[in-house]
Amino acid sequence: MKVWDALVRVAHWTLAACVIGAWFTRDDIHEWLGYATLGVVALRVVWGFAGPRYARFAQFVRPLADTLAYARAAMAGRGARYLGHNPLGGWMIVSLLAMVALTAGSGWLSVSERYWGVAWLQEGHALLADALGALVLLHLAGVVHASVRHRENLAAAMITGAKTAPRPGDVWE
Amino acid sequence: MKFSFIAPVAVMLLIAASSARADGFATCDSGPKDKWQAQEKLSASLKEKGWQVRRIKEDGGCYEVYALDEKGKRVEVYFHPVTLAPVPKGAKNFRG
Repeated sequence: MKVWDALVRVAHWTLAACVIGAWFTRDDIHEWLGYATLGVVALRVVWGFAGPRYARFAQFVRPLADTLAYARAAMAGRGARYLGHNPLGGWMIVSLLAMVALTAGSGWLSVSERYWGVAWLQEGHALLADALGALVLLHLAGVVHASVRHRENLAAAMITGAKTAPRPGDVWE
Repeated sequence: MKFSFIAPVAVMLLIAASSARADGFATCDSGPKDKWQAQEKLSASLKEKGWQVRRIKEDGGCYEVYALDEKGKRVEVYFHPVTLAPVPKGAKNFRG
């Protein structure tokens, strides 16, 4: 059944392409990828309040206690299957969006006239980018883990938008 | 579990790789640092031209300068640390 709408999917892959592209470039292209990134994040945040059910932050951002309980269950290999994002995945999305915004924002500032050549901003931008890289690796690890655990290709689901209909014991609300 | 081991290792590799990376706009064949001229000298000569020097750092064996030029335009220029000659972007092992 359809879970991820078109905007969520396009935003996801556009963001992924922009971040990967920016990781490997240092010239004008890097700058433009940064601006594109900010645009996509802004759109996704609006969609997180105005979009359909499974795009909404309110649907997938769970309380800390629930998230820790899920993390313990997942580590023990008995985490429930979520039709939308699981609690760790939900917080990963919030973290990734925030880290992408901070990284791109610091890059934007560092090419402004006022902050041009300001060392702490340049070094800060690099550190934020490294932290973002680390988050991306954790994100990939989480996707692989949940895909194997529930025998469902989550990367493919982010392309087609479709996931297996909920079975007994799954969390769908 | 295998991936709980892979993730931290990958993170460490990533951090190690990224801290070593240069901007890569140019590299200078500049030899030992005791032959280099002081950054202050480069900075002073640029200020004399009317530049507002914001930052000088080493990159690829060159001095990399962030400044506003005499027209107030943002510029990022490389200089050879021995000769203080400007290095064109894209130059590899520039001798000055």
